[in-house]
Amino acid sequence: MSEPAITTNGLSKAFGSLVALHPLDLEMAAGEVLGYLGPNGAGKTVTIRLLLGLLRPTAGGARIFGLDSQADTADAHRHLAYVPGEASLWPALTGEETLHLLGRVHGRVDGRYRDELVERFALDPTRKVRTLSKGNRQKISLIAAFMSRAELLVLDEPTSGLDPLMEQEFRRAVLEAKDGGQAVFLSSHILSEVEALCDRIAILRAGRLVETGTMSDLRHLSALTVEVTFDGTPPDLDGVPGVSQVEIVGSLLRCQVNGPIEPLLQRLSTARVTQLLSREPSLEEIFLAHYGVSSLELGREPAAPRAGDGDDGGDDPR
Amino acid sequence: MATTRAEAGITAWSSSATRTVIARRVARVAARGAALWGFVFGAVVVASVTGYVNAYPTLADRRGVAESLGTNPGVQALLGTAHRIDTVAGFVAWRSVGVMGLVGGVWGLLTATRLLRGEEDAGRWELLLTGRTDRGRAALAGCAGLAGGLVALWIPTAVLTVLAGRGPDAGFSVTASLFLSVALVAPAAMFLAIGALCSQLAATRRQASTLAAAVLGVSFVVRLVADSGTGLRWLAWASPLGWVGELRPLTGTRPAPLLLVAAVVAGSVAGTVALARRRDLGGSILADRASAPARTRLLGSPLAFAVRLSRATTAGWMVGVALGGFIFGVVAKAAGDALNSGSAADLLARIGGRSTGARTYLGVAFFVIGSLVALQAAGHVATTRDEEADGRVDNFLVRPVRRIPWLAGRLAVAVAAITATGLIAALAAWIGAASQHTGVGLAAMVGAGLNVVPAGVVVLGIGTLAHAALPHRASAVAYGLVGWSFLIELVGGIVDADHWLLDLSLFHHLAPAPAVSPRAGAAVAMVLVGLAAAAVGALWFRRRDLVPA
Repeated sequence: MSEPAITTNGLSKAFGSLVALHPLDLEMAAGEVLGYLGPNGAGKTVTIRLLLGLLRPTAGGARIFGLDSQADTADAHRHLAYVPGEASLWPALTGEETLHLLGRVHGRVDGRYRDELVERFALDPTRKVRTLSKGNRQKISLIAAFMSRAELLVLDEPTSGLDPLMEQEFRRAVLEAKDGGQAVFLSSHILSEVEALCDRIAILRAGRLVETGTMSDLRHLSALTVEVTFDGTPPDLDGVPGVSQVEIVGSLLRCQVNGPIEPLLQRLSTARVTQLLSREPSLEEIFLAHYGVSSLELGREPAAPRAGDGDDGGDDPR
Repeated sequence: MATTRAEAGITAWSSSATRTVIARRVARVAARGAALWGFVFGAVVVASVTGYVNAYPTLADRRGVAESLGTNPGVQALLGTAHRIDTVAGFVAWRSVGVMGLVGGVWGLLTATRLLRGEEDAGRWELLLTGRTDRGRAALAGCAGLAGGLVALWIPTAVLTVLAGRGPDAGFSVTASLFLSVALVAPAAMFLAIGALCSQLAATRRQASTLAAAVLGVSFVVRLVADSGTGLRWLAWASPLGWVGELRPLTGTRPAPLLLVAAVVAGSVAGTVALARRRDLGGSILADRASAPARTRLLGSPLAFAVRLSRATTAGWMVGVALGGFIFGVVAKAAGDALNSGSAADLLARIGGRSTGARTYLGVAFFVIGSLVALQAAGHVATTRDEEADGRVDNFLVRPVRRIPWLAGRLAVAVAAITATGLIAALAAWIGAASQHTGVGLAAMVGAGLNVVPAGVVVLGIGTLAHAALPHRASAVAYGLVGWSFLIELVGGIVDADHWLLDLSLFHHLAPAPAVSPRAGAAVAMVLVGLAAAAVGALWFRRRDLVPA
């Protein structure tokens, strides 16, 4: 398919005077797996609910495979499947009845894949939803999405409540979807999950997109971790350009380097270095680097009172 | 109260403050609605006093009323047994206790199940239980909070009743007035407690309120049979609502039945605490199957599913009104004969119609049926909003389902449900009437059954508009509209209230069929108003954000 899976055009949302999402321009190709990251209240769930047409944008718009997400909502939804962070299902229905209903409403079901997923996720489909734990309800939501084989999967914190074994099953299912050419929009807090699954990453902060790129793009932008072991006392690195967060434990020195590494190497050449290790930053370090500096400020970032980002589960607006 | 201790920045509240946190929280929420209803209870007493004095100024007028209404089994079945209604005191007690008892009972069971089981279903009870308390104590604290709500209901009732009683027309002693106010809130007290008990027995809030409503419904029907002159007077002692009638406020002031009321309250509270200790949080005492074989009927589309979701509730309403309609039908002949012979026809003409006899009585009975149908419609508005508030509608709207067809489907199901309810009431009333050879035709009864449907359609329409414009207030608007209309009819019929006030009632524009033939024009106009409001609501709903609870 030549149309991009998602295009947003100045998509923005304000609740009264509170801006939950500043104008967002984002494009996601068909078949691509995009990680959508951000702290609580950054506007991730708001973005997703705008894409799904559950919220009305204050300005701008979004297209799903070229279909307007507000005007042609139902047509756009034929191409996608969505998993919320915490699914609200009908408590009196069993798992099987729920999957039957959701499949019929969606209009397209891969029955064999559904049965396989029920098996793999170890879901007891005869249990009533009322009696299921949060994780087991989440499995129903995930199976309902994957069994549709939709061209676009929109997943909002999909693994909340899943145990590590089930999380592995989830990763497998996402990789299968990717192999099948399905696009995946994955909003997540579990950075290892995003790192393992996603082609590209978008980072949101206080309702603004602050970074997009592949993992290697992002690594370029971030600091390199350098660990040096000395024969003796480590030298003083004050005033070396680009070096920060210096930690010294005995004869071991750890620091971060932004930009060229040359000034650090020059300084080290005068000391007796026994071992030098450098490591590219993990996604977690990139993420923390974006927020760590002003973690105090983060606490004060606006969260939409009703339809805010529900990453912490407690006030998940679904 | 809260003592704070600053130790390394930790604020610690005294254990008495943490112990009362649940009770205070429940009381605060319960008291809001309770105070409002307290004023309504008091207002009904005030209006009954002035209404009676204005309508029946002379002793002869009052004797006439007593002769006809006071001996009329049908009217007494509706409102309870009348005692000495040739006096202001007797009439006011008769008029207010029966009806407001029913209203209080409904308020009590809804409040208790919402604040206990509803909070538990939503997971908020769990948060409170992690504090320094256990399940039994928490349940007791919840009951104490509900008692606070009851006090908030009683205070305005008592103040207005005492004020009304001190007027020159009434002249009730303060003690007698206070006893009346206690009788008015006694059903609320019992059904708060019964609601709390049902919250422990059932697995969900809906099950709990259905269970408690069934107890109330049975109490009402038993009381109705006891008061319908069938020689089963003793049955009144089998119904909590019957005990309240036996208190005889203002006329006899017999406090003994209060012991029964107190016993129900104490027994229910004790049961609540004991069951809360025994069961798991989120669990139930009544067997609730954890798993079941899949039944995929009515799971094919949102419309089919709306039918599936509402069928149990609809069946409950239909059984309830069929039972009520049948009893109204059975007593209609005797009631009509009594009406024909007295000046009560004049009184009923104000609430009912110009015709006399059994048809007039059934006209009043179908006002009650109409109120129930309108309540059923309000229930549909509330559950539609709940689907959105709890996020279940998202499951449809993130799939290829448009908002307007979803909403229209639910409205269609609601209209079908209230129409079926009106018809089954008519059919049951006809069977009951025919069993006594009352001579009311089937066509006339079916007409009366259909005649109440437009009121429900208006509730659905206005409720849908409120759902779109004020999502958090949708069920309050729908139930408020029904409650308001009911009270206006009740008070307006005897007060001769200003005409514009009556115009605001749902029921005022409907002919009291089968006493007179339905007014087709008014019925069509009401349906159109309802549909127009629903259409505006649907368009609005399509354009707005989805709003969670």
